Amino acid sequence: MTIRDVIDIGLGNMWRMKLRTSLTLLGVVIAIGAFVSMLSLGAGMQKNVSEQFDKLGLLFTIQVSQKHQEEGGDTTKSPSLNDSVLTKMMNLPGVQLVYPFEDYQVTVSFDDTVFNTKAQALAVNALETKLFSTMQAGIPFDSDSAKQAVVTDEFIDSLKITEPDSAIGQKLIISVKVATIDSALIHIFMKDGKFLWDRLKGIRFDSLFYREYRSRVVRREFGDAVGRFIDGYLNARTTVSDTLTIVGVLNETRQRFRVQPIILPLATGERFSAAGFSGDMTDLIGALSSGQLFQSSASPTSKSYSRVTIDLKRGYSHKPVVDSIRAMGFRAFSYAEDFEEITKFFTYFDLGLGVIGLIALFVSSLGIVNTMMMSITERRREIGVLKSLGAYEREIKLMFLVESALIGSIGSVFGILLGWGISRVASAVSKIIMIKQGVDPIEVFALPWWLIAVALLLGLTVSLIAGYYPSSRAARLDPVESLRYE
Amino acid sequence: MSSSFLKTTQVCRIYTRGPQEIRAVSDVSLEIKRGEFVGIIGSSGSGKSTLLNLLAGLDQPTSGTIDFNGTDLASLSRPKLAQYRANNVGMIFQTFNLLPHRTAIENVELALYFTQIPRKKRRQSAKQTLEMLNLGDRLDHRPNALSGGEQQRVAIARALVKQPDIIFADEPTGNLDKVNAGQIAEILKRLNNDGLTIVLVTHDEHLTSKYAHRIYRMDFGSVVDQRSTEDMK
Repeated sequence: MTIRDVIDIGLGNMWRMKLRTSLTLLGVVIAIGAFVSMLSLGAGMQKNVSEQFDKLGLLFTIQVSQKHQEEGGDTTKSPSLNDSVLTKMMNLPGVQLVYPFEDYQVTVSFDDTVFNTKAQALAVNALETKLFSTMQAGIPFDSDSAKQAVVTDEFIDSLKITEPDSAIGQKLIISVKVATIDSALIHIFMKDGKFLWDRLKGIRFDSLFYREYRSRVVRREFGDAVGRFIDGYLNARTTVSDTLTIVGVLNETRQRFRVQPIILPLATGERFSAAGFSGDMTDLIGALSSGQLFQSSASPTSKSYSRVTIDLKRGYSHKPVVDSIRAMGFRAFSYAEDFEEITKFFTYFDLGLGVIGLIALFVSSLGIVNTMMMSITERRREIGVLKSLGAYEREIKLMFLVESALIGSIGSVFGILLGWGISRVASAVSKIIMIKQGVDPIEVFALPWWLIAVALLLGLTVSLIAGYYPSSRAARLDPVESLRYE
Repeated sequence: MSSSFLKTTQVCRIYTRGPQEIRAVSDVSLEIKRGEFVGIIGSSGSGKSTLLNLLAGLDQPTSGTIDFNGTDLASLSRPKLAQYRANNVGMIFQTFNLLPHRTAIENVELALYFTQIPRKKRRQSAKQTLEMLNLGDRLDHRPNALSGGEQQRVAIARALVKQPDIIFADEPTGNLDKVNAGQIAEILKRLNNDGLTIVLVTHDEHLTSKYAHRIYRMDFGSVVDQRSTEDMK
């Protein structure tokens, strides 16, 4: 008996018992459909996340920053993130590029509009990494010292430019108010047009012999001097300006990864940052505590960055690089580590959904058992005839197993189609909801090949398990009794 | 007629129903020669059908031996017994036992599923056998579209198509009218004349005395009488 004979017999029998077979098939179809549609949700979400990670090159990106003191019980303070450290990082195996992340508050003048926003400086090769490379329009800078800027599409919205292409070639005047130590020191001596000695006039020098008065005056004047210093540092800033041409418009998704609205070439940007601090209070405190405040910020060896981004070579694992950087005493954040956690979450998520699908499949398998048992009872005489004709027990067993497998596989195929249909409908509905809520619609369902294979394999396995007992029973039937069966 | 090729020695078949033992066949020793037409007669419940099932390899004896060409069927494994049924035995039943959802030719072809005959040749052999039994115009008819006599002829074709060594017929005329019964008996006789060994179980003594070379009479599971038609003449 060939396998084709067995399949022919199985199909013939299923065709003969159309209604019963259809009902059993329906059970399998619904179960596999539920399994597929549920897992396609998990697969779709996972696909979205991994595509986003991959699109942005996040799996090859490591963010490095200084450790804050006593962070996580670790009392050691990170060394300064300066250029020599960056060179060390650059020499680590697997590192493609190391570039600092620095941002500053800038004032933008465009036509008659003036507004404040944030800018960052970036080397041309950094702009070519995956994190930045998807441009809606234009190209990256010509050079690190070009008077050019790359902006985000959200930024051009604020310029009232609707098409990214029309932003290319537009001129922006970027101004940075920078605070210097000079202005802060001068402020101690002169504030609001009043010199220090004008204030000193108010002191009754003859009363300085009295201890209480003397300490009150010292406390007041010292406090006042500190106040003037900070005030001078923060407010009495000088302005550095440049006219830059927009050469590229970045995709807005970059916004989610702390890309600032304006990106300047590295050397051009340094002009702003080298002039002094951005005026941010935390920067001032940081500079005071690190002792950098009174150093020349223009000195390249002493220049310290708050954050550095590492772009890895493709095919290299993030782990050794992250470990080396942590060993250097820095905080390293790898998106790949995050991605591993997300993948773990999705595995559990898929497992949960899969279990629900499996329960449905278990119920449908009871239907298969029932159908096969009924079929055996009805075909008992046929089994007797086949045995009298010389059928082996294993052939009888195979006949019923194949029939069961056919129910499983046909049910799986239609179940996959049903699951796909359900996911399409759910996807369309979810997209409508997303659009209504002002969110960019994304595909939340996916039907990868592995899911189709798993569903087919599962349908087949469950049907074979379900058919095993009935087929064994059929094989063991006594031919004489079967031939007598009415 | 040549030497015996199916021989039973002290064959017993005992069924156990709870505490009760039923001796369906008791100490039967008989001999069937190649090319012989053997009749087994007896009243209902005499054990003749049980004996036939044992000889056809559908059942195995509780004790005793059934020797077929030097092989003891009683000691064969179930797969070997199935092989014996597939290659050496053709069976004809009182109730025809045709599969109702299959056509005449498909029913006949079914017997070849368990032989080594290639798929392509099966249909051709089935068609030739049915034509030989004057059923050439009934190939695609299902059993319910055939008369009782035609159904039994399809059953004979199914038994014949694999060219067995021996045909066991269990009351083949039991469900047929006199005319059809006569036709079936004639077919069996013709096949026997062509050299095929036939074992016919029936309660119709007239049939066996007309066609069989040797007749075994059974009662209460035992062979109570044995004679050849030569003796009767």
